[in-house]
Amino acid sequence: MAAQLRLTRRDLKAMALSLPGALFLLFFLFLPLVTIVIYSFWRSENYTMIADWNLDNYITLLTTRTYLTFIFRSLVMSLSVSFICLVYSWPVAYFIARYGGRYRLILVLLTAAPFFTGIILRVTAMQQILGPIGVLNMFLTNMGLAPLKLLMYTNYATALGLVYLWIPFMVLAIYLSLLTFDFKLLDAAMINGAGPLRAFIEVTWPLNWIGTCIGLALVFIPTFAATITPKFLGGVNGALYGNILAHQFGATGTWALGSAMGVVLFAISSLFVYIIFKTVNLNRAGYTGKLDGE
Amino acid sequence: MSESKKQCHCNRDGSAGTGLTRRTILKKGALGAAVLATASMGPWVRTSQAARLELRWLGWEHYNVKKLTSEFEKKYNCKVSAGFFDGNSECYNKLRAGGVKDFDLFMADGFWPRLYFKQGLSQATDYTKLPNIKGCFPSFLPPNYMLLQEENGTSMVAAPNCWGGYGFSYNKDKIAREDAETINCLFNPKFKGHLSTSARFEENIALAGILACYRMGTINKPRPDGKPFNPYVLTDQELEECKKLLIRQKPLLVTRWNDEDTLERLFRAQVVWASPEWSGIYRRIEFDRLDGKSKLNFAHCLKPREGGLGWVDTWGITAGVKDSEKLELCHKWINFRLKKENMVYVAKEIGWAPTVDVRDMLPERYVRTLFLNQTDAIKDLYQFDAPSSPEKWERVWSEVEAA
Repeated sequence: MAAQLRLTRRDLKAMALSLPGALFLLFFLFLPLVTIVIYSFWRSENYTMIADWNLDNYITLLTTRTYLTFIFRSLVMSLSVSFICLVYSWPVAYFIARYGGRYRLILVLLTAAPFFTGIILRVTAMQQILGPIGVLNMFLTNMGLAPLKLLMYTNYATALGLVYLWIPFMVLAIYLSLLTFDFKLLDAAMINGAGPLRAFIEVTWPLNWIGTCIGLALVFIPTFAATITPKFLGGVNGALYGNILAHQFGATGTWALGSAMGVVLFAISSLFVYIIFKTVNLNRAGYTGKLDGE
Repeated sequence: MSESKKQCHCNRDGSAGTGLTRRTILKKGALGAAVLATASMGPWVRTSQAARLELRWLGWEHYNVKKLTSEFEKKYNCKVSAGFFDGNSECYNKLRAGGVKDFDLFMADGFWPRLYFKQGLSQATDYTKLPNIKGCFPSFLPPNYMLLQEENGTSMVAAPNCWGGYGFSYNKDKIAREDAETINCLFNPKFKGHLSTSARFEENIALAGILACYRMGTINKPRPDGKPFNPYVLTDQELEECKKLLIRQKPLLVTRWNDEDTLERLFRAQVVWASPEWSGIYRRIEFDRLDGKSKLNFAHCLKPREGGLGWVDTWGITAGVKDSEKLELCHKWINFRLKKENMVYVAKEIGWAPTVDVRDMLPERYVRTLFLNQTDAIKDLYQFDAPSSPEKWERVWSEVEAA
């Protein structure tokens, strides 16, 4: 038994290498999460946390129409934004990976160019484009056309803003997946009679599904928790779950309810990641037959 | 053998030809390291006599005036640093969460300084150490303005800084005066698609509360708490009315603005015709009109017909200041900010109305648009306060947002 537990030098090395990551997760994910979970079972009164253990915050959240509305709004927003990012990013990533040649790195960096600035700046820039006096509507009104009310402080404007914010993540995830994909497999499929569409559906898509899943998770989760974009672009009907959550910790000081909202947010995000990664077939995804150096 | 060993040793550390031994290298190395360490510690090591005190304040970012800060630092050989918040409740939360140890001074308005004092978060301000307070308008000092004095006590809980209202700025070419100078303006379907409010939930509910209570006739009736009417202390029935009003208001609004720049752009483009604001935007537009840069014709209503909101920004000293030297410095800072020349600078550069009478030092346009001839109006404005029940107000606001 003792012999079975003996650690080899390689095991120790692996443990040492994983230690920084484990400590990071412990201090910056697990411990704050535990604190939030504890607070979520307390109650707040006049900006004070009271350690009065109860389930009221969760009952309020999950049974009150008001908060369910925010969850539903954010869910619809996250799914829509993820879908739009997916549809837009695949051709971009495919083009860069397959035809980018020696400019691939530059092209990928270009898609991330908006990240060279801060989020506030990017959202403000979107406001300058989409708002009632934004570039787009000014152009339309100068042309004698009616302004696009659809893009003036609406949920559509928020969706557009969020797509613009998170597209680089999706492009990058799919691009990295396509980098290890052997495009010769497509030739094989074509030789065997598959058309381009069928080759894509039966070869490219499933073999890069894991990259797509990572992209979806990277877009869905921050969209669900979004606060700044809906705050500046969403208008009077644009408050999302993240906004209300942030409100609890800021102006209203209702930290206990806010903590419960945080736990629910974490649960929904985890559930999404779990569902999406259940669809990954590890026997296929990620293995393309391409060897290192080929 | 030993000779060769010695030879070998000397050659290895390279000291044979130079006369250096390992011992001398270690000695010189240690000496060098000590010199380096001392030199590198230089900026942090000072004699106690030369130590600079650090004054840390927590307030609204716009009051962080670099020119004034550096003047004060030079004059009193100290360092001033600042932390910021967006609203009183955020400051309150910060101070409660240990901020009294991190900050020496705080800013607050309305009823908040009293609350801080009552809860032991702040300490008394000694007005005898503030010679410049004599320049303040009487409207902002007891017995005219009592919120700077401890409730049922004599201690002064803070010193005044700037003041103002939360009235309506409106486009005179679009909205007639009789329609504009009422809270009902913000709920008037006639102006659908041309109204806006800030995103501050407390002030949205409070303004709707004044209108709701005015309509319900409860504004002048005895209140359940026995105190005069305060739009931040509403009954459940009044809150319900507020909620209905705010939900009905939503389709009328262009947006709820988060920053003044957004509202100013919307005003200037004439997309928004009326919105509550602190009058800074109105002043800028009015100055542009006076300078011939704009044809926009705006007005600001300080107190709507049903009643309005107002505030007096103050400086208070946190309970964390124990050291007498630091306490002295805190008073010097407040006194320095109350100096007439500094108040003029704040009025002109930052755009807030001073509580110090600087009318003789300001051009007429500033006196008029900062309402410095109407300081008595402050007693008729309901002062900013903490919601009586943040939990109930949160629920009302969430229901409005979800509707």
